[in-house]
Amino acid sequence: MKKELTKILVKRVSTSLVVLFLLITFVFFLLRISPGDPSQKFISPQLSPELVKKVKESFDLNSPLLAQYKAFVINLAQGNLGISYNYRMPVISVIGEYLPFTLIFASISFIIQIFSGFLLALITVKNRDGLLDRIISKISLAAYATPSFVIGVILIFLFSAKLKIFPSSGLRSFDSGSFSFLQSLTDFINHLVLPLITLSIPGIAIYFKYLRDNLEDVYNKQFVINLRALGFAEKEITRKHVIPNAINPLISVAGIELGILLSGALITEVIFALPGMGRLTINAILTRDYPLVTGCSIVAGILIILSNLAADIIRASLDKRLVKGSLN
Amino acid sequence: MNNSKIKNWHIILLLLVILFFLRFGLIIKSYLLLYKYIGFLFSDFSIAINIMDLGFADLIVSILLIVVIPSLILYEKNKNNLLAVGLNKKVDFSSFTVIILISFFIFAPLITDSNPNFQKDIGVTKLLPPLSSVDVITLKKEKIISKDKLAFLLNLKDDVVKKPFNENLIYADSIKIGGSLIFYQKGKEKEIQKNKLQLVNDIPLIEKKHFLLGTDEFGRDIFSRLVYGARISLLIGLGAVFISLLLGLSLGFLAGYPGGFADSFLNRFTEVFLAFPIIFLIILILALFGNSFFTVMFVLGFSGWMSLFKIVRGEIILLKKKDFFISAQMIGLSPYKLLLKEILPVILAPVIVNLVLLYGNVILAESALSYLGLGIGNNYPSWGAMIESGQAYISEAWWMIFFPGLTLFLTLFAANDIGKEVNIHYNPALEK
Repeated sequence: MKKELTKILVKRVSTSLVVLFLLITFVFFLLRISPGDPSQKFISPQLSPELVKKVKESFDLNSPLLAQYKAFVINLAQGNLGISYNYRMPVISVIGEYLPFTLIFASISFIIQIFSGFLLALITVKNRDGLLDRIISKISLAAYATPSFVIGVILIFLFSAKLKIFPSSGLRSFDSGSFSFLQSLTDFINHLVLPLITLSIPGIAIYFKYLRDNLEDVYNKQFVINLRALGFAEKEITRKHVIPNAINPLISVAGIELGILLSGALITEVIFALPGMGRLTINAILTRDYPLVTGCSIVAGILIILSNLAADIIRASLDKRLVKGSLN
Repeated sequence: MNNSKIKNWHIILLLLVILFFLRFGLIIKSYLLLYKYIGFLFSDFSIAINIMDLGFADLIVSILLIVVIPSLILYEKNKNNLLAVGLNKKVDFSSFTVIILISFFIFAPLITDSNPNFQKDIGVTKLLPPLSSVDVITLKKEKIISKDKLAFLLNLKDDVVKKPFNENLIYADSIKIGGSLIFYQKGKEKEIQKNKLQLVNDIPLIEKKHFLLGTDEFGRDIFSRLVYGARISLLIGLGAVFISLLLGLSLGFLAGYPGGFADSFLNRFTEVFLAFPIIFLIILILALFGNSFFTVMFVLGFSGWMSLFKIVRGEIILLKKKDFFISAQMIGLSPYKLLLKEILPVILAPVIVNLVLLYGNVILAESALSYLGLGIGNNYPSWGAMIESGQAYISEAWWMIFFPGLTLFLTLFAANDIGKEVNIHYNPALEK
């Protein structure tokens, strides 16, 4: 069993890596064939022609495409992602500055999404067609239809502009230098409340919808009725039989969602001006920082592969039949 | 069938009648313009072609459709197709929203009384709250000496087709009429001689201009921007969904019908697309190759075909084992005919359901892109861009965000709801 599982995982990871490599190649060539020259920004008319030539050479954008690609692949194999045009630092250290925030932010939001969605689904399915069920279902439909930037802007309007409870952007207050550790921690948390709500609401609605439907399906299954007839306690049926059957399809969805979250919550980061991977990526794209764009895509790709992998492992450990199924 | 209920087509007809009476003068003038214009088309073709522009064409289509649509509805409602089912359904919240949106889409020049980009006297008009109004002073037009037909036509067209500028209007906070006309703009007093004004029975022509939903930071009417923004959203949605449909259908057929290597390759390929955050790829392409109406439409279309592909492929694989399909193959139908005659009718229902849901997603993606400043540019109003520009004025002008946000929410809500209803229409078992 274990051997089979590792075999599947190795196969899956290797295909994912090939796909990631193809995607990066695609991004590489897309950047190179697009109109415009990123080195133009760093050349002023006062520079002497030799210096201009040197600057242009330092970007290495005039050599043939395939030679550039070859150099890129060799560098990539050595773990060297190049130097960012804008930051004048290795791409890895630029990403190293932005990634930790995104990892923390995304994981907290992910946990909030899963737990609230799960809790709400359990509560509503317990009293099906009751008042609470109908209210929560309606709200979740509405939350599902609201774009996250509308939610974010409304939250800023209510809590920052009108009530002045939470700050509207950034991660630290201006005077945070003089704060003690505890003060800066509360300051940090204060800054994160609105972004977390904005990022989590659509996710909660999705998980709630999935789980609510799945749970109801399982509750109506023959074996649950059978268990009930045999006299098992409702609590035990729910915990041991209904939930494990209902969450399985959810896990792969959660894996994909987690990957996308980890690669940057773009809209939320833009609304609240947060220093995360999403904003780093879009700024790199808009300023044509080619090495940084490729670096961000690689990091996003790896995170997505890892989270999908985690989801697969969890699913396989919950339902052993899946291992057999994916071997064929 | 319960006949006492109000159905969708009742509402459509009611709205059209209301619109017709509200804009009666405009519609009559437009028909007069159309009549004169057709005369010109036969007498002087080259001038007639030069007169024609987008706004004019738009208006003509609207005034024609306001007559065509009611007759079409009365004709179609007794038939037995999806449209008739939709028309005969009891009115509910989402179908009402859809009706409003479609009428925004078709009758934008009739519904609004100003061009979405109209700006004048920004000091007076900027950031006005909803339901506010300003005084409008009309200056006398330069005398048109020639009284020929062309001048009449051009005059009429200026009157009917709204332009983004009009030098003959002055917006003022308040007005005093004495020997000459005194008006106030932001507390500043200005004076104007009566002989420069447009006079009606020797009294200066002064009107009130109402801003139903307020104005934005450039003094533009938010209501008309919302109405024209509906066009952009719905049109981009239509185009992108169509591209996704073509891609999903053809790739799904290519994967499902022959099976084997093509199948596994395309399937892997699709899974990649599904797993990666496609929004970054969209932004990359838009940022590198420029963002215009067509690039946004194409990129959104190219990024939405995956779910359709999965459905089409899955259905075809199931279909291949069915008897009727095998016998159709035995008869010797070509793959193209098989697709058209045997596969399409079977997969139509799930595909339509998916298209409706996809439509909502595309509208959402378009608004998110324009929020990020990567929409179709500043020449057209777009809901996402309106919200983005309102964010800077969030503490003083809530209406700049509230109304576009509400419209967007209602649109997406209705799209999801209609998708569910279409699904129930095809699979009645889903209804509890």
